[in-house]
Order: sequence, then C-alpha cells, then structure tokens
Amino acid sequence: MKPPTKTSVILLVLMGVFLALAAGFSLNLWGRPASRPDIPLVDPAFISTDTVRTSYAELAAQKGDLSDFDCYGCHEKGKPPILRFDANQNLIIPKEHSDIVMKHGSHNRNNLCFNCHNETNLEVLQTRDGRELKFSESTQLCGSCHGPTYRDWGAGAHGRTSGYWNRDMGEITRKDCVSCHNPHSPKFPGRKPAPPPHPLRPLDKPKLEAKE
Amino acid sequence: MSQEPSDKRNIPALDADGLSRRSFLRTSAVFTTGLAAIAAGLAPLRNLKDFTSMEQFVQKYYKELTPEDMEKVLKRIENEVEQQYGIRPHVRDLKPMNGVEFVYCLNLTRCIGCRKCVHACVAENNQSRNPEIQYIRVLQMTNGSFDMEKAVHDYDPAEVPQKGHFYMPVQCQQCHNPPCVKVCPVHATWQETDGITVIDYDWCIGCRYCEAACPYWARRFNFTKPAIPKDRLNPNMAYLGNRPRKQGVMEKCHFCIQRTRAGRYPACVEVCPAGTRKFGNILDPNSEVSYILKNKRVFIQLKEELGTSPRFFYYFDV
Repeated sequence: MKPPTKTSVILLVLMGVFLALAAGFSLNLWGRPASRPDIPLVDPAFISTDTVRTSYAELAAQKGDLSDFDCYGCHEKGKPPILRFDANQNLIIPKEHSDIVMKHGSHNRNNLCFNCHNETNLEVLQTRDGRELKFSESTQLCGSCHGPTYRDWGAGAHGRTSGYWNRDMGEITRKDCVSCHNPHSPKFPGRKPAPPPHPLRPLDKPKLEAKE
Repeated sequence: MSQEPSDKRNIPALDADGLSRRSFLRTSAVFTTGLAAIAAGLAPLRNLKDFTSMEQFVQKYYKELTPEDMEKVLKRIENEVEQQYGIRPHVRDLKPMNGVEFVYCLNLTRCIGCRKCVHACVAENNQSRNPEIQYIRVLQMTNGSFDMEKAVHDYDPAEVPQKGHFYMPVQCQQCHNPPCVKVCPVHATWQETDGITVIDYDWCIGCRYCEAACPYWARRFNFTKPAIPKDRLNPNMAYLGNRPRKQGVMEKCHFCIQRTRAGRYPACVEVCPAGTRKFGNILDPNSEVSYILKNKRVFIQLKEELGTSPRFFYYFDV
C-alpha cells in the first residue's frame, strides 16, 4: 500500500477544519451577543408631567375634594380665630391644622396666619394693602410681596410652562404659584431622583464623589 | 469522504478524458467543502435582513428627496415600525418654520437634579432602554466651583437636591458653529435653519467622528439594535427626530423636533417639576427666552471658549 502523500494529508486535515467551521457557523456558536443584565424600566411616575401639588383653582376645575377650603365647617362665622404663641414667639399650630408646617420665610418673620388670610372672612385671602382675593386668585397675593418673581412668572421665565410655544398653533398653559409651592412652606420640596444611567457592568472603581 | 483506497489493484482505469475516479472524487470533495466553508463564512450576512431593506439601501440623500419620494420613505418607515412593534406610527417630515430660531434656557438656581427630564426624553424619543441611551446627563456639582472634571453624574441619594451642590443638566447645545457637522464625512448631520442640528439615520455610516468632535458628549451611538418595549413606543414620530434608530447609527437631542416643529414644547420642558427649563423662539421678542436673555443673569454658554456658540443658555435667578 502506498503511504498517503503529504498533499492528501494536508487536504484531509483542511477539509476537516472547514467542515468543523461550517458546522460552527451554521449553528451560530459565536454569533450570539454577550447577554446584558436586565435594566428595569423606569417608574412611569418619573415621566408624569403633574405638578407637585394641586392648586385650589385646579381642584375646583376638576371638581375635586374642596373640604379643606370649607373654613366655616368648623370655624364660627364673625369670630376671628385666636392665635397662640410659645415663649420663642413661634406660632402654636392647633391640632386641627396639624398638616400645616409654618415655614414661610426665615426667622419667624412670617408666622402670622393673618398676613395672608382674612381674619374676619376666612374664605378669602387678603394682601397687605387690604385687597381681598379669592383662593383661586392667590398668585396676586404672592406677587404682592414677591415682586421680581411675579414679574418673571408673568413673562414666563419662572414656573412651569406647557403646551405650545407657538401661540398661533395652540394654548400655553401656565401654573399658579401654589401648584408647585406650598404657601405655608414654600421652599420647593426635595424628592427621590430618577435612577442614574445604568453602567451595564459593575463599576470597577468606587463612585467618584465631588471633592470640596 | 475521500478515502485512500486500500488496494493498489483497484485503481480504476483512466477514462477517455484522463480523469480517474479517485481524482474526481477527491477534487469534488475538496470543492464541496470549500463551497460549504464559504457559505458558512457568509452566514452572518443572514442577519442583515433586519438591518436594512432594499428601498432604504437605494434611498437618496435627504436633501435630494422630492416630496413624492419622501412620502414613499415615510410609508416605508411606518411599515417597518408596524412590522417590528405592532403599532402603526404617524411619521412626519416636519420642515423648519420661517422666522423661527430655537433657543433653550436652563435656570441653574432652580434645577433640583431629579432627572425627570432624562426619562421623559427617553420616553418621548424612543431611545433604547437596554443598553440605555440618554440624551441628557445631569451633573451634580459642588457649590462655588465649576469644575466639570469633578462633577458626578451617577449620584443616587434618597433625596435631591443635596446640600452644598447644584445640578447642571447637559444635552446637545445646538451650536451655531457645530464641530460635529464639520467632521461628518458623508453629510449625514447638518444644521437646519431653525437652529436644530439633525441627523439622517438612513445616511449615517456610524463612523462616530461626530461623537469624538462634540465637546459636550451629546452624541450617542447605537452599539446594538435599540431595545424599546412595544408598550412604551411613542407613535408620534418625525423622520429627523424620534423614529426608531437602527444598530450602528448616531443619535442625539434634536429639541424634540416632532413636537417643537408642531408648535409644542419639548418633553423635557413639559416634565420639569421645578420650571427650570425654558424654550422658545429667539426671533420673537415676546417669547420667554427673549425675556430671559434680555433680563436675567445669563452667565454662560457652556465651554464658550471653544467658539461653538451654543443655542443653549444657563442662567441664574437674582
């Protein structure tokens, strides 16, 4: 028997290699992308365009629960409520109003209910110059002290805008001050941030912290 | 297949053409194997059928498309999206309006760093959820400094704003002098007359030069086929805007072209709970952005010294 020549051995080996590769390719052994970790979809609350509060005007328009504004359900008409203060001149909030946090302005300069509410008619608001305003007109009350902010709000530079930038094509929607600010504690509240960008693989170094 | 015959005596006689049985078998075996190997080597091309269609392959450059061509292209995109996501979208090719130049203003005093804008943008613009592609990056910066090297973008405390920090969202700045447009070798990205720098996803070759050129890290590359859950697809689409992208193309913020060219505010403006974001037509003297640039303390265009002249302004109250 003639020993196989070098050429035919090489050809045989090559054939084997090609067949193996062909099988590998057609079974798609290498074509599968590396699996990625699942990234949870973001909570739709983070996409919601709702403001942080609902103003009286919005509640009234939605026919919502206005019982909070029904002052004479509890108070007696024609009898101004009496305010009590502790030794440090901090207003003592009665337990019926325990949901109110008085933090309007610093240094207790604005802890008197009747700076804004009308003493004799609790269902209206009152500016310092004596104008009476309905709850739905509260922006003017805010503006009577916060002039520059009111001016910016009027021009669209402060506060939420939504709808149409092009007034010819649709309406622009502006929000009242109290749609975002709690009048008793107007500082904008902190909130949980939406999730940060997903790194896909574990970070190999500790998070960079901003240095002082 | 081709086995060496064991017995020398079995060598068949040569036929008339001088071809023996053995050499025929050997040659054909080698030939078949080679053919199989080539076919197997080309196997990855099977995946290309999802990558592009013939209509798209022969499609002309955006600026050369006639209105009839464009109609066909929009139909094709609607069909493709419907096939893929099961929802018939409404794809439009909105043109810039006359007398409109968009400007964006962002109030650094008010931003609380809640990242709602990031996710509203993702939802509006059909960005990939895995891997995540996000146009807006919110930087947490230390009060009193402006060192972006030390900014943190993966902060995740229980509550923002964190004391002693301010937040600066960065996205495409829609430059007057955009470096990304200059480097594009195929003119797949350009600046429109209303100031929006757009990308034709059908023309982009994915070389990522623009990504390298952008000083604001505003451009994103689709390394994989974008993953968008069917129930989160936004069917209001624009050709140069939020239609689903393919693997291998660039994308970036386009001021929500599908909304803003229809007169509406971008999604990030609508969602901002703090009223930080302001958008409008700078050529309209009564717009809020005109008021801000005239009256507020507008302190930077980001990386002003590069001469890119962004249409995105950061301002302060006071």
